[in-house]
Amino acid sequence: MGGKGASAEPAEGGASLSLLQLDQATIRFGGLVAVNSVSFQLDKGALFGLIGPNGAGKTTCFNLITGVYKPTSGVIRFQDRSIGGTPSNKIASLGIARTFQNIRLFRALSVLENVVVAGHLRHHTGLFSALAYLPPSIKETDRLKGEAMDLLRILNLEHVANVRSQDLSYGMQRRLEIARAMATRPELLLLDEPAAGMNPQEKEELLKMVKKIRDEHGMTVLLIEHDMRFVMNLCEHIVVLDHGEEIAAGPPSAIRSDPKVIAAYLGEAV
Amino acid sequence: MKFWGIRLLSIAGAILGCMALQGFGLHQNDYIQRLLILSGLYVTLSVSLNLINGITGQFSIGHAAFYQVGAYSAGYASIHYYKAAHLPPLIWLICTMILAAFAAAIAGFIVGLPSLRLRGDYLAIVTLGFGEIIRILVQASNPLGGSYGLNVEPKIVSIAMVWLLAILCIAVCRNLLKTATGLPFLAVREDEVASSAMGVNVTQTKVWAFLIGSAFAGAAGALLASFEGFITPLSFSMNVSFIILTMVVLGGTGSITGSIFSAIFLTLLPEYLRSLKGPDGGPLTLTGGAVMGWLVAVIVTVGVVRWAFGEGERAMRNQTLSAVARALSTLAVLAFGFYVFLAAKGSGSILSWLFAFAIAAGIVWLVLANGDQPIAKKVRFSVVALAVGFLAHMIAGYLFNKVPVMHNKELKIDQLRMVIFAVTLIVLMLLRPQGVFAQHEFSWAWVAKVLRLNRQKAVQA
Repeated sequence: MGGKGASAEPAEGGASLSLLQLDQATIRFGGLVAVNSVSFQLDKGALFGLIGPNGAGKTTCFNLITGVYKPTSGVIRFQDRSIGGTPSNKIASLGIARTFQNIRLFRALSVLENVVVAGHLRHHTGLFSALAYLPPSIKETDRLKGEAMDLLRILNLEHVANVRSQDLSYGMQRRLEIARAMATRPELLLLDEPAAGMNPQEKEELLKMVKKIRDEHGMTVLLIEHDMRFVMNLCEHIVVLDHGEEIAAGPPSAIRSDPKVIAAYLGEAV
Repeated sequence: MKFWGIRLLSIAGAILGCMALQGFGLHQNDYIQRLLILSGLYVTLSVSLNLINGITGQFSIGHAAFYQVGAYSAGYASIHYYKAAHLPPLIWLICTMILAAFAAAIAGFIVGLPSLRLRGDYLAIVTLGFGEIIRILVQASNPLGGSYGLNVEPKIVSIAMVWLLAILCIAVCRNLLKTATGLPFLAVREDEVASSAMGVNVTQTKVWAFLIGSAFAGAAGALLASFEGFITPLSFSMNVSFIILTMVVLGGTGSITGSIFSAIFLTLLPEYLRSLKGPDGGPLTLTGGAVMGWLVAVIVTVGVVRWAFGEGERAMRNQTLSAVARALSTLAVLAFGFYVFLAAKGSGSILSWLFAFAIAAGIVWLVLANGDQPIAKKVRFSVVALAVGFLAHMIAGYLFNKVPVMHNKELKIDQLRMVIFAVTLIVLMLLRPQGVFAQHEFSWAWVAKVLRLNRQKAVQA
């Protein structure tokens, strides 16, 4: 791995461009090695793609990064801080937010409430102020609702703000997951198959939206996607996993012509 | 400051309201006082369990344990320190409530810990076990009176305190849900993995829910101890836990409004059934045939209502059928009216019957509350369905009474009341599995919306 050395002190003020770094990250479930010494690093502001056939370990990688699983060995660094095995909610507060492959919205809550829950991470009034419904708490709630509405506007969901999230269409639910993840104000946004189940037009809109999120909101994006056209058009850098191992990495043009990738993943179809 | 003005006014209003209730209650007999106090305590218990079960989604069925911890810690403190403290009884009561709340919160914390690892049924078993452990430990403990129980003094009947606690509990839960701080509680119920990924501290949220919920149950326990003046482990058996759970589920898991109404309803219903009078003015006595008749009536009522809103809608477009149905239902209503009239003439218990009828109509209406039909139509259908059901009851009862076994079996209402209670629960749950209020809350905006919808429908029709 190039880039950063093994510096111990946190790099404040952007001394390094590397935001996330996986170093020989490995996880075993019993005899199965789901992710086998995968190493890559993400620069700040990158649009980064993680692809591979089914069962390649992409979502497991996400779960390692977001603290759902603890790596069996290897190091995961976020802003030069080792985060392997840190609880999910701590990792979220450090600045990593994600969406889920199988949509996991708070189904009975409204669209707005879904986003406010995530915004709550930046919430500073205490529980007792809320129990007594004191002005600081009310003000804070109004502020969070306002911010949530802004996010909904960005993702074109403001007209359904008060609809229960389970009543939304599939594409809208996917967008709401992105809005909810953005509400934690992350540095790094992990999108797990954001375009799955969308029609071509929705995919096109999503592509623009993700670009906008990176360009206007300065978030670094790491995404898993099966739609090759989508990934090739969007990502600037791609890592390919197969059977838990990294088989290729590089810009889309290189990946497209990599014989190993074609053999493992794209096959004869493309 | 407008905010503080409104806040002070509402607090003053709550206190005055409770004092007024107390003033009213103290002029009533012991029985009424008891009902007023018990329904207040059960409101507190079910709303606080709703915070754990409904809002945070941690399936706890040992709520009586917290109630018991509260009652015994308050009782124990009263026996040993009340005389030494030289405090006025009411102040002492408040002190014991705070103490009981703390003691129960500690118990809640201990039970909350397994909830970090367990979900659903597994947690239910742990909380159930915990409840039994507490009860049996108390039963085996001599300083706490063992199975004989404790004589608690001072004995204070304070309806105002009971209802103030209930209002405080409702306000706390409502406030929580109104602010952004409360949303993570709901999020934990919906999806723990997703909440965690959004930065919600799932552990802390669950423990807080248990702490707050059990503290209120504990304070309610202190009030029970001072009201009864005597507590035994029997007052906190598994039955109590299940009744509280039933209140939460019946009202609609997660709905504070539902918990309040079903707590009052389920506290008063068995008592009301006890006093139900027959058409001859004596205690209501039913033959086996009449009981079967009532079952038939329930089925017919529900069937008619369902049919009227479903298939019936289409059938009623046929002129002849519609006319026949109208005639039949008018006849049914008249027959019912005539029966009530006879009953009233015989005994003067018309109020009792009308009340029963109103309750039944209310239930039917609630059943239909989720359909998008005008309310006037719902009420009309409900009344007709009940009248038809009643006729069915008369006819079925008559036929069943021809069967000798059924005719000979005479049952008094107080033997039957728990059966009726159970049947009511079954019917309600069958018709609205998500609870009477589902996850809705009462709000003036909601009332306005319903009224507006009805007006719009009336205009369209």
